[in-house]
Amino acid sequence: MALRPTLRFARALVATNLRASLALRGAFWLQAAFMVANNLAFFTTWWLLFARFHDIGGWQLRDMMTVFGVVASGFGGSVVFGGGARRLSRMISDGGLDPLLVQPKPVLLHAVGSASTASGWGDMTTGVGMLYLAGRLDFETLPFVLLAAATSATVFVAVAVLFQSLAFWLGDVEQLSRQLWEFTLTFALYPRPLFSGGISFLLYTLVPAGFAGFLPVEVVRQPSLLLCLAALAAALGWWLLALGVFALGLRRYESGNHFSARG
Amino acid sequence: MTAARVAIVTGKYLAFARAAARRALAERTVLIGRSVFLGVILFAFSRIWHVIGASSALPGAGERELVWYLAVSEWSVLSVPPLFLAIEAEVRSGDVACRLVRPVGYVGSQISEAVGEAALRLAVLGPSAALFAWALSGGFPADPRGLWFALPLGLVATLIAILFMAAIGLSAFWIIDTSPFFWIWQKLTFVLGGLLFPLELYPDWLQRIAHATPFPLMCWAPARMALGFAPRQALGSALQGLLWVGILIGLLVVMSRRARARLTVSGG
Repeated sequence: MALRPTLRFARALVATNLRASLALRGAFWLQAAFMVANNLAFFTTWWLLFARFHDIGGWQLRDMMTVFGVVASGFGGSVVFGGGARRLSRMISDGGLDPLLVQPKPVLLHAVGSASTASGWGDMTTGVGMLYLAGRLDFETLPFVLLAAATSATVFVAVAVLFQSLAFWLGDVEQLSRQLWEFTLTFALYPRPLFSGGISFLLYTLVPAGFAGFLPVEVVRQPSLLLCLAALAAALGWWLLALGVFALGLRRYESGNHFSARG
Repeated sequence: MTAARVAIVTGKYLAFARAAARRALAERTVLIGRSVFLGVILFAFSRIWHVIGASSALPGAGERELVWYLAVSEWSVLSVPPLFLAIEAEVRSGDVACRLVRPVGYVGSQISEAVGEAALRLAVLGPSAALFAWALSGGFPADPRGLWFALPLGLVATLIAILFMAAIGLSAFWIIDTSPFFWIWQKLTFVLGGLLFPLELYPDWLQRIAHATPFPLMCWAPARMALGFAPRQALGSALQGLLWVGILIGLLVVMSRRARARLTVSGG
């Protein structure tokens, strides 16, 4: 697969999705703004907890803001640029991949990039705001923040693809895959010191909140070359795993006999 | 309205509730998913209380009571079906116009269906929540008698939440996409309702604001019963809850009249 045309295609998908989101300008701004309000209301819980106890497992409010900043940015990025990943299982079980299979473009990239969620911009805005308030957006830390958000977003998309690809073998798994993905997000938003032992192992495997949240957050909290490489390797590893599982599943895919045109 | 007429009308709405409960029972994976989700949240927060050392959290309430508090509040919240989505979908598709001509109130039938589904969820999630709380905290609260009051207060909490959801759903007649309203309402319920931890842990000023709203009735009121035996508080919460049920029904009557007028004007 030639890299340059694929990148050009990915860029075109992003641009098309952005235009589609902005076409309904009022709905776009409303969704984004309400998501910011929603996130701030959610964060209030943590603010209240830290206001009362100051320290949870050695973490302070600033650390929690960093968690929220990185994970909200990563999650927002994943649903803005890879919003189609959350619909994969439905496409697989309904035969919705048919129109994509006849196109001379990578099927997974096309499916993942075929939708964008406007509220994700609200998530990203919240993330940037939190990181700013936590004092993590200065000139020296900015590259680490960008790397953390990008790797978090990659892992979120890869994990969604993995969970949703179960539909190739198990049929309609929309609820299950959505639930597993939500668990990943839920745990990624908790302070890492809360979990240890067997649970920690689960959070780096079955529900990989560790790679979507804990590890990228550490890249920002304690920037180092080793952590950056670890986060990059994790994102790449999860993406390759998702690609492999999707390709394996695609061999079992049965057409839904859909006749439709796709531009 | 005669007694016979009341019986007929009640029978219709009960039929809606029964049908919805049967439908929800058929969707076993959703029920199991909700139970597991409840367990996951309980686990995560039980870790927080464990790490903090819950003895320093609230006088008279230890880690065990706080885990049970969360179990009861999550039980109430997770038992509420997303009624607003059903109403929004019918408004968007225009199907609402067909529902309006049926010999049964549109909003009433929607609420009945939600109540039926919620009843089933309460029955399934209740034992799950109790089991998770028991396993994660290592037993029952120091004074478990209060948990009996949590049952009726949980029912009132769920009913209030359903009525709010109906109001959010009806707003689709004006704004089409109701999700943003839902997000805000949901988060206000989480924060001002005291979903994750008791309002007693909030700063005084925020406690006062929270208690001036109906949100604590949906989480804190039933969950507070896990912290100790408080019959007077339970009675007060129940009366307040019923008052809010009345207010919300009044609001829904006004909204549904205006929505119907709006639908007629725009042609459905």
